[in-house]
Amino acid sequence: MIVIGEKINATRGPVKAIIEQRDSQGLKELAEKQVRAGAGYIDVNVGTGVGSREHEMADMDWAVGVLTDAIEPPLCVDSADPAVLEAGLRAMGNRKAMINSAKADEDCLPKIVGLAARYDAGLVGLAMDESGIPPTVEGRLAACAKIAEECRRQGVPLEKVFFDPLVLPVSTDITQGMVTLRTIREIKVAFEGARTVMGLSNISFGLPDRLRLNAAFLHMALSAGLDAAIADATDDELMAAVRTGEVLVGRDRHCRRYSRAFRR
Amino acid sequence: MDERELIENIAYNVIQGRVEAEDEGIDQGLEGQPGVTELVGQAIEQGVDTRRLVLEGLSEPMEKVGAKYESGEYLIPDMLAAAECVGAAMDLLGPKMLEAGVESKGKFVIATVHGDLHDIGKNIVAIMLKGAGYEVIDMGNNIPTARIVDKIKETNAPFLGLSALLTTTMRVMSEVIASLQENGLRDKVKVLIGGAPTSGKFAAEVGADAYCRDAFQAIDVLKEMARS
Repeated sequence: MIVIGEKINATRGPVKAIIEQRDSQGLKELAEKQVRAGAGYIDVNVGTGVGSREHEMADMDWAVGVLTDAIEPPLCVDSADPAVLEAGLRAMGNRKAMINSAKADEDCLPKIVGLAARYDAGLVGLAMDESGIPPTVEGRLAACAKIAEECRRQGVPLEKVFFDPLVLPVSTDITQGMVTLRTIREIKVAFEGARTVMGLSNISFGLPDRLRLNAAFLHMALSAGLDAAIADATDDELMAAVRTGEVLVGRDRHCRRYSRAFRR
Repeated sequence: MDERELIENIAYNVIQGRVEAEDEGIDQGLEGQPGVTELVGQAIEQGVDTRRLVLEGLSEPMEKVGAKYESGEYLIPDMLAAAECVGAAMDLLGPKMLEAGVESKGKFVIATVHGDLHDIGKNIVAIMLKGAGYEVIDMGNNIPTARIVDKIKETNAPFLGLSALLTTTMRVMSEVIASLQENGLRDKVKVLIGGAPTSGKFAAEVGADAYCRDAFQAIDVLKEMARS
């Protein structure tokens, strides 16, 4: 499965400082660490919440410029603002890219799908709309259908799309584990060719020993058909769960990756 | 069971978070024993003093639950289970409460600000305040500033809770407060704010009356406000 490294996110204090000080070396190191740990994509979120949109566009342009020179794996530009996304895509040149993310809202969806079409980028589509995250599988699929329809309209093939079924904590609603898992299954049936991606850790919010739940949920999600995860690639325990999950669902031919990770 | 035993048993089950007889509690082996629903039903039949039941059977144990959460002993689901007990008891007591003159502690309008779709934290606060005896008016998430201000006007609520989980949307709180000011409502309503990116410093910056880290701090802050 693809792990999208989540660490370059300006809501984290040290990353905020790296971006504000234009610390190229610090940014590079953070990316390289994730690549070494096995991240297939590097997520780039420069939104600190304080600056203007122009500021954020300039930050994105800078960060993407630094990272395309520094690392091999493709980048995943992360923002809710189409202008910031485009600033990142423009700076990417001919590199393979991913957009994180679009949701099924009338306003932004056409713009962001338009960017995916124009820059030939992958697209993360969130199973939600302007009024939030639907609590049911049906609601989430309806949101995915809107995104799929917009992609069809603008000529973005479903092979380019990663649907995110979204994850809500089981600590506040015990049904949410199964809602996400069933949504993954249904997406794979309803939108042939499309892949699935999700952030794992929200599932265990508010509970102790979160890694246990995250790892178990990752295994269940892999079994349901999850293709990618937005996660901390430098977390050894989590990456071990990726290896054990992949081998058990038959996505690790001859158990190569598992053996490489754990051979004595 | 006499009145005292019954109320103590209700209090115990709120702390255990057992709504019904079949529920498990925090401690093992309680399944099958009557839960809050059954016990409150019995209390109503026996004509137990409603004021005393609400105060000693529901409010006080809920405060203990708050303390246990603060200290890290209780987790979020433990707290929600206890709040569910209080909610179930209140539903059963509904008509009795008016008769007994158990008043609401006041209207509390709560909303996640415009542009922000997060509502889990806001929902927890709403549940807990209901449990603590406030008349909670939960507007939902992504609520435009004008609608929040209209709701304050319409309900005359003395308390407003604003939630935001994004650094980009927390700024909307100052917009809400400015709009309350323009509409001559600012001195009629106390504004409490919360959400991950906010802080006491931020509350002061935007001119809110208080920052609350979580639902229990909100309850403490409200108590303090009632005193002054």
